[in-house]
Amino acid sequence: MGGFGHYLLSHLDTMRREFWFLFVGGVANGFLYGMVAVGYTLVYGVLRLINFAHSEIFMSGGFAGYFVMKAMIGPTVPSGFATVYLIVIGIVVGGVVGAAIATLVERVAYRPLRRRHAPALAYLISAIGASYFLFNLAGKEFGRYSISVPQPYVNHTVFTIFGAPVQLYYLVILIAGVIMFVGLDRIVAKTKLGRGIRAVAQDAETASLMGVNIDRTIAMTFIVGGALGGAAGFLFGLGTGVVFTMGFTPALKAFTAAVLGGIGNLRGAMIGGLLLGVVESLSVVFVQAAYIDVVAFGILVAVLLIRPTGILGERLGRAA
Amino acid sequence: MKLRLNKTVATVASGALLLMAVPAIGLASTSGAAVKAKPTYTIGYEGPLSGGNQQLGLNMVFAVQLAINQANATGKLPFKLQLKTYDDQGDPTIAPTQAQAAVHNRNLVALVGPAFSGATAAAEPYYKAAHIATVSPSATRVTLATSGWNNFFRVVADDGVQGPADANYMVKKLGKNSVYVVNDGTAYGSGVASAFATQATSDGATVTTATVPGTSQCQNGTASATQYSAAATQAMASGAKALFYGGYYCDLGLFLGALQSAGYTGAIMSDDGSLSPALIQSTTPASAANGVYLTCACASSTNKTFNSKYQALAHFSAANATYAPESYDATNAIINAMKSLKKITRVGIVNALHRLTWKGMTKVIKFQKNGNIAGSAIYVNQVKNGKIVQLGLE
Repeated sequence: MGGFGHYLLSHLDTMRREFWFLFVGGVANGFLYGMVAVGYTLVYGVLRLINFAHSEIFMSGGFAGYFVMKAMIGPTVPSGFATVYLIVIGIVVGGVVGAAIATLVERVAYRPLRRRHAPALAYLISAIGASYFLFNLAGKEFGRYSISVPQPYVNHTVFTIFGAPVQLYYLVILIAGVIMFVGLDRIVAKTKLGRGIRAVAQDAETASLMGVNIDRTIAMTFIVGGALGGAAGFLFGLGTGVVFTMGFTPALKAFTAAVLGGIGNLRGAMIGGLLLGVVESLSVVFVQAAYIDVVAFGILVAVLLIRPTGILGERLGRAA
Repeated sequence: MKLRLNKTVATVASGALLLMAVPAIGLASTSGAAVKAKPTYTIGYEGPLSGGNQQLGLNMVFAVQLAINQANATGKLPFKLQLKTYDDQGDPTIAPTQAQAAVHNRNLVALVGPAFSGATAAAEPYYKAAHIATVSPSATRVTLATSGWNNFFRVVADDGVQGPADANYMVKKLGKNSVYVVNDGTAYGSGVASAFATQATSDGATVTTATVPGTSQCQNGTASATQYSAAATQAMASGAKALFYGGYYCDLGLFLGALQSAGYTGAIMSDDGSLSPALIQSTTPASAANGVYLTCACASSTNKTFNSKYQALAHFSAANATYAPESYDATNAIINAMKSLKKITRVGIVNALHRLTWKGMTKVIKFQKNGNIAGSAIYVNQVKNGKIVQLGLE
């Protein structure tokens, strides 16, 4: 026991010293997970479908952002207003392309199946097929190696909290993430579209009887989810570069976050993403980086054992 | 307009052919090899000529072709050489098929390659059974030399040499007494890293080790690229003055960006898996790669004649063509072994290579009994202003 006590104390000491540093990185990752998780949750809410092609929507946003940055950034690193302008452009373009690809996937891979009342398994295979098609196409068109995205700023420490430096990159994710989350939450809670989404999520048949256009609502759901996923792809690519397989692991984590928070639950996806990001980051104090994924999925299993419907419970209809 | 074969033309032509053939036959039967048509032998190349590692294969194959062209051009050889390539994509599951194809080519007498260690391990039993000498320019896995393959040779130092040499350079030459040793969890990366750690410890340095697995961003793994910010924090927390990374350029690039963000300023060194201009391309921001030491058993060519001839043949520069000089040496080693033989056979070349001592472009080519190169050296390079510069021998 003495040995274990010492182990715990020494690690707690590391935790005390490194906590805020790891926390900041974890929150930034968490926001990225959350942005992607929202896409899974929205689609699941209205269609009861896991959109496995969402990872490729994320990837397409990353590449769109890369091409815009490459076209717009010259040999000198921009600063000041130009930086803000470029980041906003990157997020918007990433979002628009993400939304476009999401719409395309919905039209080509899902809508025909819905028309034919295909079984759930058919959607799953169709989703996986769309995913493979898209990322292999990207690999063929853009090369199968990681490409660094031209930086719209010199990454530097903006301020510190409790001694931990907060990088500009993290700050960008934080600000973009908060705006997107609050905006989306308001859209779903207050607008006609949001009411439509919630109505379809609760009971599609009744919603259609009440005058909700189901096809349009589903299409809008893909657009909103795709836009957030694409924007997240741009932000992720900004930090780590883009490659045709870049969507795979982040999207898997985001899916985990969505289930963690309660799949189909919008706020749950955001909270699940943040929780996953922070816990993952802090876990390196106790285990090596190699075990991060073990911790992440261990938490998922543990939470689901205690609360099978996730932290906030399932339904999109009830949540907001 | 259609070309018609006139009967007269046909007669004259066949007659001429006959006349051309007669002296050769006649002389061969009387006075030996003086004007005899030279026999043509095939030298094979096995390596990745398609897929993700294609560039590495192309680097090599042009050097092999250059060596063969030059040998043929001298006109002094009692035989002519030709190249036949076998594309294994660097993949151990494809290598055996390609090896069998090479073995069944009766004209093939020896082979440059296989390029990758995994592919070599899978292919070598077939070459061994056919007594075909294989001279690899790039397969560095230690156990390849200890598998009992009499026909296996390589002109580069193995991973067991590189790790300790790197550690000596880091601790003794750069004077770093504490090192954070990271590996990417691959057989190659963890092999080099653990050899480094062992030697650095015995050199008196404090060593902390960590495994940060390869990411899906880089095809070699499944981990998320977001792990690197945490890994960089851990490296900083260790207080080490230097960092060694055993792995490949793509993941190192991600790690370098995170290390810079975390404010790490110590020395960073990595192995030949990271020695690629693509390291700078995949590092965000690219400036985070500056100052990184990259070591390799491979030399980058400073031979002007070779460089210009290579450029003319390959249409890309030899300067960044990793393993091109070694491939050139490997091919010439085979040609030299063939020159020493009266009668060229597969097994004869194997034996001749065991006896060979010859000064190649990169180093003296003399093989140990197990096929490893004797007394080889590791080259150290450094990234300076976004370019990889060779500093010299460690």
